[in-house]
Amino acid sequence: MFFHIVLERNMQLHPRHFGRNLRENLVSKLVKDVEGTCSGRHGFVVAITGIENVGKGLIRDGTGFVTFPVKYQCVVFRPFKGEILEAAVTMVNKMGFFAETGPVQIFVSNHLIPDDMEFQSGDMPNYTTSDGSVKIQKDSEVRLKIIGTRVDATEIFCIGTIKDDFLGVINDPTTA
Amino acid sequence: MARGRGEEDDDIEDEEYEDDDQLLVDEDYDEDEDVGRGRGSSSKKRRRSDFIDDVAEEDDEEDEDDVDDDELYGGGGKKHSKAPRVGAQFFDLEAQVDSDEEEEEDEGEDDFIVETGADLPDEDVGRRMHRRPLPLREDEQEDVEALERSIQARYARSSHTEYDEETTDVEQQALLPSVRDPKLWMVKCAIGRERETAVCLMQKCIDKGSELQIRSVIALDQLKNYIYIEADKEAHVRELQAVKGLRTIFAAKIMLVPIREMTDVLSVESKAADLSRDTWVRMKIGTYKGDLAQVVDVDNVRQRVTVKLIPRIDLQALANKLEGREVAKKKAFVPPPRFMNVDEARELHICVERRRNSITGDYFENIGGMLFKDGFLYKTVSMKSISAHNIKPTFDELEKFQTPGNNGEGEMVGLSTLFANRKKNHFLKGDAVIVVKGDLKNLKGWVEKVEEENVHIRPEMKLSYLAFNDVFQKTLAVNEKELCKYFEPGNHVKVVSGTKEGATGMVVKVEQHVLIILSDTTKEHIRVFADDVVESSEVTTGVTKIGDFELHDLVLLDNNSFGVIIRVESEAFQVLKGVPERPEVSLVKLREIKCKLDKKFNVQDKYRNPISVKDVVRILEGHCKGKQGPVEHIYRGVLFVYDRHHLEHAGFICVKADSCCIVGGSRSNGNRNGDSFSRFGSFKTPPRVPPSPRRFARGGPPFDSSGRHRGGRGGHDALIGTTVKIRQGPFKGYRGRVVDIKGQSVRVELESQMKVVTVDRNFISDNVVISTPTRDTSRYGMGSETPMHPSRTPLHLYMTPMRDPGATPIHDGMRTPMRDRAWNPYAPMSPPRDNWEEGNPASWGTSLQYQPGSPPSRAYEAPTPGSGWASTPGGNYSEAGTPRDSNLAYANAPSPYMPSTPSGQPMTPSSGFYIPGTPGGQPMTPGTGGLDIMSPVIGAGNEGPWFMPDILVNVHKSGDETLGIIQEVLQDGSCKVGLGLNDSGDTIIVMPSEMEIVPPRKSDKIKIMGGSLRGVTGKLIGVDGTDGIVRIDDSLDVKILDLVMLAKLP
Repeated sequence: MFFHIVLERNMQLHPRHFGRNLRENLVSKLVKDVEGTCSGRHGFVVAITGIENVGKGLIRDGTGFVTFPVKYQCVVFRPFKGEILEAAVTMVNKMGFFAETGPVQIFVSNHLIPDDMEFQSGDMPNYTTSDGSVKIQKDSEVRLKIIGTRVDATEIFCIGTIKDDFLGVINDPTTA
Repeated sequence: MARGRGEEDDDIEDEEYEDDDQLLVDEDYDEDEDVGRGRGSSSKKRRRSDFIDDVAEEDDEEDEDDVDDDELYGGGGKKHSKAPRVGAQFFDLEAQVDSDEEEEEDEGEDDFIVETGADLPDEDVGRRMHRRPLPLREDEQEDVEALERSIQARYARSSHTEYDEETTDVEQQALLPSVRDPKLWMVKCAIGRERETAVCLMQKCIDKGSELQIRSVIALDQLKNYIYIEADKEAHVRELQAVKGLRTIFAAKIMLVPIREMTDVLSVESKAADLSRDTWVRMKIGTYKGDLAQVVDVDNVRQRVTVKLIPRIDLQALANKLEGREVAKKKAFVPPPRFMNVDEARELHICVERRRNSITGDYFENIGGMLFKDGFLYKTVSMKSISAHNIKPTFDELEKFQTPGNNGEGEMVGLSTLFANRKKNHFLKGDAVIVVKGDLKNLKGWVEKVEEENVHIRPEMKLSYLAFNDVFQKTLAVNEKELCKYFEPGNHVKVVSGTKEGATGMVVKVEQHVLIILSDTTKEHIRVFADDVVESSEVTTGVTKIGDFELHDLVLLDNNSFGVIIRVESEAFQVLKGVPERPEVSLVKLREIKCKLDKKFNVQDKYRNPISVKDVVRILEGHCKGKQGPVEHIYRGVLFVYDRHHLEHAGFICVKADSCCIVGGSRSNGNRNGDSFSRFGSFKTPPRVPPSPRRFARGGPPFDSSGRHRGGRGGHDALIGTTVKIRQGPFKGYRGRVVDIKGQSVRVELESQMKVVTVDRNFISDNVVISTPTRDTSRYGMGSETPMHPSRTPLHLYMTPMRDPGATPIHDGMRTPMRDRAWNPYAPMSPPRDNWEEGNPASWGTSLQYQPGSPPSRAYEAPTPGSGWASTPGGNYSEAGTPRDSNLAYANAPSPYMPSTPSGQPMTPSSGFYIPGTPGGQPMTPGTGGLDIMSPVIGAGNEGPWFMPDILVNVHKSGDETLGIIQEVLQDGSCKVGLGLNDSGDTIIVMPSEMEIVPPRKSDKIKIMGGSLRGVTGKLIGVDGTDGIVRIDDSLDVKILDLVMLAKLP
């Protein structure tokens, strides 16, 4: 799920950035530092949408660096258990398949794939129904439900299921 | 159980005694309140306490009065008077143990008992009761009333406690035997005669009365060959005729049963309860020994069990047998378990009958007297031939038992036994559980409280329940056997027991009590029992480490190949070999790994951009084209790239550096200026300070351990390798490097004294210089410190420069001055870090051990054939322009290798060269007294590392180790070694790195390899720590010398 929230961060800025463009420098450094990171609490920071407030800078002893407390608005993405997502399949193997939605990797185990879909190995490993009408392979788009998440410091890993109503392939690259 | 002494007494007398006795017992209760309370809270205890209450007083008296036993039993009317009663009790208990025959005899008196009004419902007590008045006759009716009262008074309390379920542990404890109680002795007797022996002893007891001072005899059905005798002293059992004259007893061995185990003697295992339908058992004997079986039917009367097994039948042999052909009497081969296939059997012309079991109505195939159904063998065996205790079927076994079309059902039935074996405190508060048996089946809840067997659960609220049953608001007590841990797909769990212990992952699927987990590490499915799992947010990888090697380490293997550990199995690793052409995985045992490679190299990608570890690269060619990920290891121009999308080989891809291109900027660019020094510097890091001599020659134990310590990633103390200053103690003011840390003490290698001292950790200030952060990377020493194959490491050392610099000419340029600086103490140490890096003990390890005294190490290296340096040694060194004369000495003097001059004082010819070198080499040790003495040693180290003719060396060439004697030291430092202890063996040329000096032991003949006494022989008359006490042969002087300078003579 995406959230638009306000976060705060203490930014350290090198003295060489001081000057007219201090704010720009600060913001660009913030963007560089923060976007794409992941925290267990908020999930992935997708984009910074605005700066709320830059606090007073504090010069650090010895280094000359200045610490600014910066409040910024950002869009974060955090997958939740039970959430329905659309994801692109990145890899298929006999254990199941991996799919990604943005930075989040989701594994769908073969136990959580409908029973009528079977694994077909080969050049392009895939899961196919017995009549061949539905096929999950690399680059397919699937709609899945997240049933578990594991949040590390730098990564969120989920397992999902497509063994439920209205879940499964939504866009097949081969037919498109 | 036999207890007693005393003659057959007259009945009247008996009665008197009886009264007496009761009075006594009543008193006894008053005195021994606790004994009375606890009495009889279980039948087992009861029996004991019966015994206790009347004996206890005797015991007390015995103890208090300390009267001689004979006297006690012989005299004292009171004592004597009790004898008959005791005798009566004996009968009673014997009857219980033995048979119920007496019961019938007593039958006639039952009504009498009713009259006495002692109708206590407990059978045990009841029996006691009707036995108690046994000796009474009808004519003593008048006393019956009184008797009844007294009896009731006596048993009122005990009967009360009998049904009191709230007996506490403390009360139970009070009943346990103490040191004051009689002891149990285990006596060997003839097999199968246990009962007979007990009865004999009983008879003896009756015959001899109080002479026999044993208190009871116990013969246990389950214990063959032994009986227990209860007595106060061993002598009572042995000498005083208790066991004398009984031919069934072998009194030679009488063992005391420890107090703690006494209760176990009389504990009854409830065996029968365990064996019920569907329990899992294991066969104890025969072809099926150890096989898992499932109980189908139990016949408790005949002690037989019908079990279901996977047959181990060799059909061919069976066919032969049935046809009357001679069967080869080979028993060695046990056929593998396989389901019986009737059609196959028919093909072999085995007669298969199909019969219907009249009782169950099931059809069985009967082949040669064996019954089969659904491929299983149904076998009726004695209860004794199976073991039902602590059976924990493995997953595989259970799976095998799963016949197709029988899914689910089978697994559930197996639950009961699986649960029976689980650990205590299996459930913890907060666990999610599900009821699997009984009325509440499928009720989910959370554990609130655990009490012994019962688990209180708070059920998952359901509206329907709430509506009509208030009970569900509260907790429910459920037997733990009816509960199973409950997990939902998506839970993150940790496996806490079983084969997969330690693994974590997310639950993908729940199949009854079996979970399928997606492992966090391997991204593979694991099947585990729900019981073995706890919910946990922890992410671990299971076992990731064996010895010094950890998952994802780059390791060097035996045959000089290398690879990344991609999986740790029990006792072995899966290693992705460093073969860029194709992914090659091999299973490697711990001992096949030579060392961990933890060196950071830089290589160039396809476009000549430098790649270093952690840079993200994209693979441009080869089978993994298009993959992208951070570089985890670099070695010999081969990259190990980690791509999390790559599921094979734990995400590792092995590629050639030049088939990749770096993506984005190199991560190390930012700090390259500072860092690169250390990076380059770590190629070759001769320490500034020549290490103390004790370090080289051979990896002495202390050093070795420190080396290991450093090698391991875990438990790595940040202090190790740092430079510290000693603040207190005898070495106050000294500076040195921390070599090792053991608890509170720290081993510090002093900079100025070339020795390692142990100081208290509190006595050091460790902020003198912070060691380089990349210290960890320069653990080159690893290999060399592995005592097994130490010699090889230097080889790699050479290889490194050979490969790398070749590609990158800059390196040389950069490296040389760098090294110079490191070498040259006078050069400005501008980036202090790398100097420290150089000085870092970790990196010392590289050259230390094998190339004694690192400054010389290069000198030694240079001429080593096959080394990459060999081509440009002169250039290298002279270019270095170091003020160190020793280098020049090498350049100029073609043969500085003293060992070539086998005679005793090799120093002399070239000492001129060395001495000037010394100050250069010793910049770090200004003003130490010991320096001068030491320097010749260092100098001596300059030529081939100390090897001298005549000394004994361990040669490890081509993997094996042989002892040899150096016959001649050649110019290039290698030695001519005669293998074997006498000169008869082959003579081979051995590189110094391939051999090590045999450390002498006490009273060995030795040769001094260094110092002013180099070449002198002597005898090691003692060892003091790292110093050896040597008596010189010529002068008979006694010298104390560093052990490493001593070599053993044959």
